[in-house]
Formats: sequence, structure tokens, C-alpha cells
Amino acid sequence: MPETGGMPETDSGVVIVDCGDSAVMARAMGSDAEHNWRLVHTLADAIDSVRLDGVHGIVPTYDALLVEFDCAGTDQHTVRRVLRHEADRLGKGPLHTATARHFVVPVVYGGEHGPDLPVVAEQLGITEQEVVELHSGSDLTVRCLGAPAGAPMMDGPAFPGPVPRLASPRTRVLPGSIAVAGRQAVICPMPSPGGWPLLGRTPLRVLDFAADPMTPYRPGDTFRFQPITPDQWDDHAGLSLAVSHG
Amino acid sequence: MADTLTVHRAGLATVQDLGRFGRSRYGLPVNGALDQHSARVANVLCGNDEGAPLIEITALDFSCTPSTDVLMAVTGAPADLTVDGVARPQWEPVSVRSGQTIRITGIRVGIRVYLAVLGSVDAPWLQGSCAPDTILGFGRALRDGDEVGLRTHCPPIDHPHFRIPLFRLHAPVRRFHAAWTIDVTDGPDRTEFGDTAERLFRSPYTVSPQSNHIGLRLRGDVPRRVATGEVLSRGVPVGAVEVPAGDELLVLHRGRGVTAGYPVLAVVTATGLSALGQAGPGQAVRFRHRTIAEAVTAYRSQRNAVNALKARVRSAFEALRIPVPLSP
Repeated sequence: MPETGGMPETDSGVVIVDCGDSAVMARAMGSDAEHNWRLVHTLADAIDSVRLDGVHGIVPTYDALLVEFDCAGTDQHTVRRVLRHEADRLGKGPLHTATARHFVVPVVYGGEHGPDLPVVAEQLGITEQEVVELHSGSDLTVRCLGAPAGAPMMDGPAFPGPVPRLASPRTRVLPGSIAVAGRQAVICPMPSPGGWPLLGRTPLRVLDFAADPMTPYRPGDTFRFQPITPDQWDDHAGLSLAVSHG
Repeated sequence: MADTLTVHRAGLATVQDLGRFGRSRYGLPVNGALDQHSARVANVLCGNDEGAPLIEITALDFSCTPSTDVLMAVTGAPADLTVDGVARPQWEPVSVRSGQTIRITGIRVGIRVYLAVLGSVDAPWLQGSCAPDTILGFGRALRDGDEVGLRTHCPPIDHPHFRIPLFRLHAPVRRFHAAWTIDVTDGPDRTEFGDTAERLFRSPYTVSPQSNHIGLRLRGDVPRRVATGEVLSRGVPVGAVEVPAGDELLVLHRGRGVTAGYPVLAVVTATGLSALGQAGPGQAVRFRHRTIAEAVTAYRSQRNAVNALKARVRSAFEALRIPVPLSP
């Protein structure tokens, strides 16, 4: 039977909804965010390895997996059936965990590189130094690769509260900019518009255009930001983020 | 010396294909020709693979000269197509001699024209595609005086004096309208807009000049989100209709960022997206509600028409002994 949006969950707590004629979304409905995240990424791996005809894009994020396809080459029912099958299968066993890698990312905080550091400190009611210490004081986990250009979306540091977005977004954010918003943290890989407050900037080159994929990090990897002084910028300038793990 | 297409007047033209597929997991949007149907037909009319690199010309006049004899096809928005001053048809293969000047002027009703050449053109390559990605700063935007490499040539095949049309291939021509009707299906978050969701279908919207391959901004009586609360970032499909703020609808197109945090009211259908790729600033857009089954049927029929054309082109090329290029 054809299904419409908002159908009952599978055994594994996954709901599948239509997103137009060429995409469906699987949503993990569990109460444990960590489990939901692990589930949608494991489901993404499963869909990838099935290599279903006509499927040409998958976007796993926090609690959702978007599957895009050519509806002349496959259809909703086929994609839904495979998603459901895989979700049920995964729901029964333990979820696979890929080996996480760890990246150390040098950052010049504040000044021209992090123009919003003072305002973020004020909004959070702590000092600029405390913002830097919290941001660089723990490993941050990459949850998904998002817009723009495969930016690593991370769980934010243990700030005392969420960070408001800028009232007026910037038309151009420099590559390597380190930004936070809400409870999230990110590195902007390429120049792009952005509404997230900027704390600093890394001199590392985030993307590797010659590699496939161009993003050296994967969901589940961790980042540790390491404060450097502005005159240490040149020591790292142009080096690839890819070699900063270990 | 390899053969080239010398661009005299580039206007807004890029080397394009159908998109960079399979990379959304790594954060890369699909991009590619905004009017996929016209791009496919242009390539098929030249005997090329549907996804072969071709030239996408947006709104402004374009002219070029090949250094060898070529067979080309021009599709997309209505325009004045001439070869050395002689009017030639769109949506049919056209033979062009070495040194002749191809001119595309007066692009109207729609905004995108596709020029494909038998054997295709040389293109830069990134992650499996030549489609420009403006966020990555990748792609070949043509400039006056540029030379575009041609991969093959094609002996002249039309009558030198009488201009008897050799081809009547009946390509599936896109219809162009001053006011577009764009099909959408319900989005996953339609209920968040309550009764205001119906506004989408009640009156037309106007395409704003701030529209591009990332998304079209449309002005009009916009639905309002009645639900509250943050939407966690997640994958958004190409075609998503969102209401970010203010009095504009945002319709995401092929260059959209793969994730966003706005509720999705509706999703433009696959055929609707190709049509929307032709909608220019100031034009009116009216949305029409479709079920997914209707949308899929419409898209399959469009693709089947292209496949049928492919078969006719093959027979015509065989009869005329036109060498069909091998797929790359």
C-alpha cells in the first residue's frame, strides 16, 4: 500500500515521511538524542552500501536522514521499503560505531579573526577568556556535514547558555572561521554568508579539493581547538586540516 | 592545435552538466542545469549522453565561433538563433561550418538557453561533475575571448544552398509562459502552517531579483508558521518551499545548502523545478497542488519523451551517417 506522510513508526522508532516526488526522510523518534544520531548515521551507511538504483543523495544529520532519488529510476515505495527493512534490522542489534579520529585545530581567538568574541562573552555573562577556555577546553564531536560546503557541525562547548544568532547576518564569512550558535559549533570551510557569531579563525585549509570526499572529517570524529597567538598564524597558514589529526 | 569554440560575447554563460550527484552526504549540493529538461534535450539532439557538458546561457546575449565544423542544438527559452546571420531553429540539430558565427540574442519569456555540441565540450572536473559550485568557487564561467575545447567535429550535413531542414525530430519542446504554473506536493511540515498553508495556492507570487541557482525568492501573500519551537538542522530536498522570514517565500533550487533549519511547507515537483529554472525576475508564479503519484507520472512522461527522442536521433544520425560520439 502506498504510504503518506506521518505513518506509524517501525519497531526501531523510525518514521518515514515524503519530501516531494524525489526524496523521503527517515526520522528517529526516540527520546535519546545520542541514539537517534547513531541510528540515522548507521542507516545512512546501510542505504549507501545497498547502492539502490536511482538513489543519488543521502543527508544524515541529528535525528533525520534525507534520501534523494530520481523518481524516473525508482520510486517512493521502493526507497521506503528498503529504509524500513534496514531500520528494522538495525533496531534489533547494536549500532555499529566507526572508529573516531581526533583533529587538533589551531585557532586565533578574538580580534579581526573573531570579531564577535566580546559580544558572545557579554551575552553569556562570562569573560572573553572564559569563552575561549570553554571552547578550547574539551573535545567537540562532529555530528554531521552540513551547509555550506560540508561544514563540520559540532555539539557546542559547555557554555552557560545558548548563543543567539546575529541579528544581521554577514554577507561574507572568511574560510576557516570558527563560529557558534545555539548549542552548536562549526568551522566555515569556504567563504559564504553566515549568521553565526564568530569567535576566531583557523589558518588551516579545511577542504582538500584533490581528495574524494573533500572533507577529511566524518560524523563521530572529534575536534579540539587550540588557542594560538596571531603571530603563530603563519606557522599553520595553508596547511591541510587533514594532517592535523592524531 | 585542438579545435575550439571561441566565445565572442559571453554574457552570463557557464559550462554546465546535470549535476554533482552522490555528494550531498559530504555537504555538496547537486547543482547542475537549472532547466534539466532543456539541457537533456539539447544533448540528446546532438547524439550526446544526456549529462554531457554543455553551455548554459542565462538571460544575456551570447556569440561564439567554432574552429571546425560542428553539429549543435540550442534549447531552453525562446531566443533569436542565427548562424552567420541566417535564422536557425531551436530544438533541432543545426550544422555549423568552421568559422561561422553562432549568435543567441533576445532571450525572452524564460531566462536560460542551452547550447550543446556533438561530442561535447572540454570542462573542468570536480567530484564527478563540471557543474559550477559557487560556494566552492568552482566552475567555468565563460568570458569574452575564451576558447572552449571541442572534443570532436562533425562534417557539414545540411544543404549548402537551399537550407532544406534535414531534421524534423519533434523534440519535446518546453512550453514557455509569461506566468508560470509550478506543481508542488505537500511538504513534511505542512501542518506547522495551519490554515495559512492554503494561501500558497490562492494567489500568484512574483519572482524577486534576488533569485539564483541556490533559491528563488517569491513575493506575495505568504503562509505563516503557526507552530513554535526550533527546528533541528536536517537535510532539505531541492524544491523545498520555506518561509524564512518577512514577506517572501524561499524555494530552494539545485545549488541549495544540503541542510537547513526551517519547516518545509511544500516541495516543488521534478518537472516543476525544471520549469522554475526558467522563471525570471518579475515573472508571476502560481503554485498548483499535486499528489506524489501525479508528480511522478508527469516526470516519467517527460523523461520518456526524451528517451523516445533519443531513439529518433539515433535513426536520423544513422541515415545521415553522422558519427555518434562515444559516451565518456
